[in-house]
Amino acid sequence: MKKAPLLLFLVPAALYADQVFLKDAGSITGKIVEQTATNVRVDVGGGVLGVPMDRVERIEKGRCALDDYNDRAQKLGPSDVEGWKKLGRWASQAGLAAQAQDSYKHVLQIAPNDRQANEALGFVELNGRWVTEAESFKARGFVEYNGEWMTPAQAQVEQTQAANDQARRDAEQRARDAEQATRDAEARAKEAEDKAKEAQSNYSSPMYWGGWGYGVTAWPAGTAPDPVFTPRSQIPVKTHR
Amino acid sequence: MSRHIARTTTRLACLTAAALFAFTAVAAKAPAPTADTIVADYLAARGGLAKIRSIQTLRQTGHVYGDAGRQGLVMRELKRPGKIRFEFTVQGVTAAYVTNGTEGWQVSPFAGDLEAKPMPEDALTEAIEQVDIEGPLVDWKAKGHHVELAGHEVVSGRDAYKLKLVLKSGSVRYEYIDVKTYLQVRTDSTRQVRGQAVHLTTTYREHKRVKGVLFPSVIEVTAVERPQKLRVVVDTVEINPPLPDTRFERAKKAQ
Repeated sequence: MKKAPLLLFLVPAALYADQVFLKDAGSITGKIVEQTATNVRVDVGGGVLGVPMDRVERIEKGRCALDDYNDRAQKLGPSDVEGWKKLGRWASQAGLAAQAQDSYKHVLQIAPNDRQANEALGFVELNGRWVTEAESFKARGFVEYNGEWMTPAQAQVEQTQAANDQARRDAEQRARDAEQATRDAEARAKEAEDKAKEAQSNYSSPMYWGGWGYGVTAWPAGTAPDPVFTPRSQIPVKTHR
Repeated sequence: MSRHIARTTTRLACLTAAALFAFTAVAAKAPAPTADTIVADYLAARGGLAKIRSIQTLRQTGHVYGDAGRQGLVMRELKRPGKIRFEFTVQGVTAAYVTNGTEGWQVSPFAGDLEAKPMPEDALTEAIEQVDIEGPLVDWKAKGHHVELAGHEVVSGRDAYKLKLVLKSGSVRYEYIDVKTYLQVRTDSTRQVRGQAVHLTTTYREHKRVKGVLFPSVIEVTAVERPQKLRVVVDTVEINPPLPDTRFERAKKAQ
């Protein structure tokens, strides 16, 4: 059965603070919003993840970092730039990426050119403007190929290699009998489709560990700032002549 | 007059001989570095072979940062012989990637997998290259690796020895050892990613001493021809924490 990847940062909710330990390994920390005999649903601070109870080893209830974040946020005034920046740093250290981003977005609403907040949200200063990561990559001459940013020369190399691979596969395909070739073509089409989807969803932000860490090949969806979010400093100002 | 010239000539000859002797003595004391001497100095700079060998288990925790404000928590546990567990947490969701040295498995809720499944071959290869708790340069001959001096290079403005390390598996890396501090400052390696060879440069900074052994606390990875960067900041290093073997084994299948 194909499993849907976890999409973080959906609809926040809050009832309890729990840590759900999975039987094999791993855990989900957040607030349980629903628990039945067969399923437990955990709000991880921006998204809700459902876990079948037969995968759960144990549940530990108690305060979590999300509770502390909410308490701290409630005590802050809406224009307290330093306070929101401090909260952003705290949330970042606590592993609450979504809350850190929320704090920094709040800062940018008050101080659109704040360096720390812009950098924390992934914006890059380019000729006095804060631009998105993709815009900065383009400005530095990188191109997007197969869902990944690289130099044009590297893209050319990979494109040539992909074409060669395809030509080799095509030659092999022609050598097979018609029925088998048809089946292979269908399988390859599906594989290509899956890879394209995977590239689209996972590989836009690859993770290269280089000797410290392994296994995770791309940043999970939702770990970057909301792409539709635009700080005020980037909103074009209309001028009337 | 002739006696004076003879005395002066004798003095000059003595001085020249003395200078030659001194030069020869200095040259004898500082032979050209070899891969063996560089590795020995590197191990001494890290804290010494005895302390490095005394590490039976290791736990490191920290943060990982990517571009566009992406971040997560990381935890790496190692245990002799050949066991490693890596955990990656984003927004309260923790994935685990574990190997006991021969087989590997993973639980990756990010991919919708809440049950252990075998680790992909690429990831297992990468994991197994990290299981050597003391590092591949310790006892490299006995481990079947090959090390040779491949020259000098400037790393972050400082001169560094470039060592070519061929692992027993055949994988090739270049390790850069600072000429003055003898600390490891960079590694160049190659990884296969979706059929493409990706050349990686890993730099190590801000080494911190824990129980007499130095560990880098900032590790930065860049991919050649690609703009993305990855930075791991190690917050804590624990030497010889209790780590039961079960941490590195696949849990029994759920009933």
